Amino acid sequence: MSTAPLALIAELTHRCPLRCVYCSNPLELRARSEELSTETWVRAFEEAAQLGTLHVHLTGGEPLARGDLTPLVLAARSAGLYTNLITSGIGLNEKRLSSLVEAGLDHIQLSFQDAEESSADTIAGCSAHAQKVAVAQLISETRLAFTVNLVVHRRNLDRLEEIISFAERLRPHRIEIAHVQYYGWALRNREALLPTLDQVQESVAVVERAKERLKGIKIDFVTPDYYATFPKPCMGGWARLLMVVDPSGKALPCHAAGVIPGLKFENVKEKSLRWIWEESSSFRRFRGEDWMPEPCRTCERRTQDFGGCRCQAFLVAGDAAATDPVCSLSPHRHLIDAVLKRINLSPLSADIGSSAEPGAGNVKALDTDLALRQRWAYRTNPAGVRERPEL
Amino acid sequence: MTTLHSFSQPRLAAGCRLREMEGEPATLLFPEGILRLKGPGAEILRRCDGQRTFAEIVAEIQAQYRSADPRQIEHDIESFLDRLQKRRVIDL
Ligand code: SF4
Ligand code: SF4
Repeated sequence: MSTAPLALIAELTHRCPLRCVYCSNPLELRARSEELSTETWVRAFEEAAQLGTLHVHLTGGEPLARGDLTPLVLAARSAGLYTNLITSGIGLNEKRLSSLVEAGLDHIQLSFQDAEESSADTIAGCSAHAQKVAVAQLISETRLAFTVNLVVHRRNLDRLEEIISFAERLRPHRIEIAHVQYYGWALRNREALLPTLDQVQESVAVVERAKERLKGIKIDFVTPDYYATFPKPCMGGWARLLMVVDPSGKALPCHAAGVIPGLKFENVKEKSLRWIWEESSSFRRFRGEDWMPEPCRTCERRTQDFGGCRCQAFLVAGDAAATDPVCSLSPHRHLIDAVLKRINLSPLSADIGSSAEPGAGNVKALDTDLALRQRWAYRTNPAGVRERPEL
Repeated sequence: MTTLHSFSQPRLAAGCRLREMEGEPATLLFPEGILRLKGPGAEILRRCDGQRTFAEIVAEIQAQYRSADPRQIEHDIESFLDRLQKRRVIDL
């Protein structure tokens, strides 16, 4: 039998004031009317703690969109959980922050789209950067553990050095630099977000230099798996370390697992977390090694990467039970290589132009913020939520 | 890295805390993970309050574990705190 999940990832809502083009939320977002009540979340936190879970990550969407966030933090903390808030910062002011600290929040992760306001706002699909900077200032005055999250991709990777210096000035304890992962909205925008090989190599060098320089700040770096030889150990293995609960209460072994057809995901409204973790068919489906095909089945690395990501296998190869196609040993690796070839052989400025009018002639001219805004698939909001005004 | 001196006053870093619940070993919780504490680990960390000096912590633990070699205790606490500082769990 597997041991308890180390962490519960609580997607409190899919509502979000931002519309990031790399958002990994599913394309089908949960409506506000489907969201779990405060009481159900509180019960879920208590059940998780009883199961032996130690951390809870409150995420979304934007968790601050929930008016009951403070009582939820209080409940998580009272259950004994280490409580982490993953946020864009929009909706946080001094009063709300101090109520969260008071409720027992332990750690906050604040995400930034770029160092520079207009590029940041283009990616976020709304004007948010300046507010985030103000929020960072408030956070750095608390005793919370403070992590700045930076998501990097083709559009901002050339400015990584500058972006890290910017993050450093926000005075966090940690900086997490993660390449976009291609799920949900990010997969839709993949052609415009995937960096080139040169950019990736340069970014590794930039991060190494920053680690040398920033002795007091810890830097974590998540490399892009499309350029890797072996896959990432997705979620630390299917139903091995983590449990995700979506805004409607559906429990998933991974954020993106909802895309996999044929799996029945249980709801925390109906079933206990323990039963879902130990008994439910979706959690057992890819747990351990029995499901593995060749080449994973006999591969030495299977205990390190667990055959990679099931969702990526489905999204790219059409089969959730296949070896992760980013693995160099996968029979589907050519599908990833084809994407990389397109990206690396097309001039940087032309990537948005793939859907541009033929004969537009001047591809470069299209590569302006305006053209970007027109061509990105911005994340939407769940039905019934008022959208922010267009840029 | 700050070097540990006898007058250092170690304390848990921001966002790190000791979880002590009935019926389970003490656990140190921090942003990236956990550390289950064995033996005197919890005794030491409970004393890392930013007030007590390293020398005081060592003396208190030595007083508690009289049968053990005091120099060994000092050495063990020093390497324990060094390791935790490297993981950014305590500040000196
Ligand atoms: S739109 Fe942006 S801020 Fe909102 S949930 Fe998605 S990635 Fe996070
Ligand atoms: S073959 Fe499977 S187990 Fe081996 S490295 Fe590739 S994904 Fe991992």
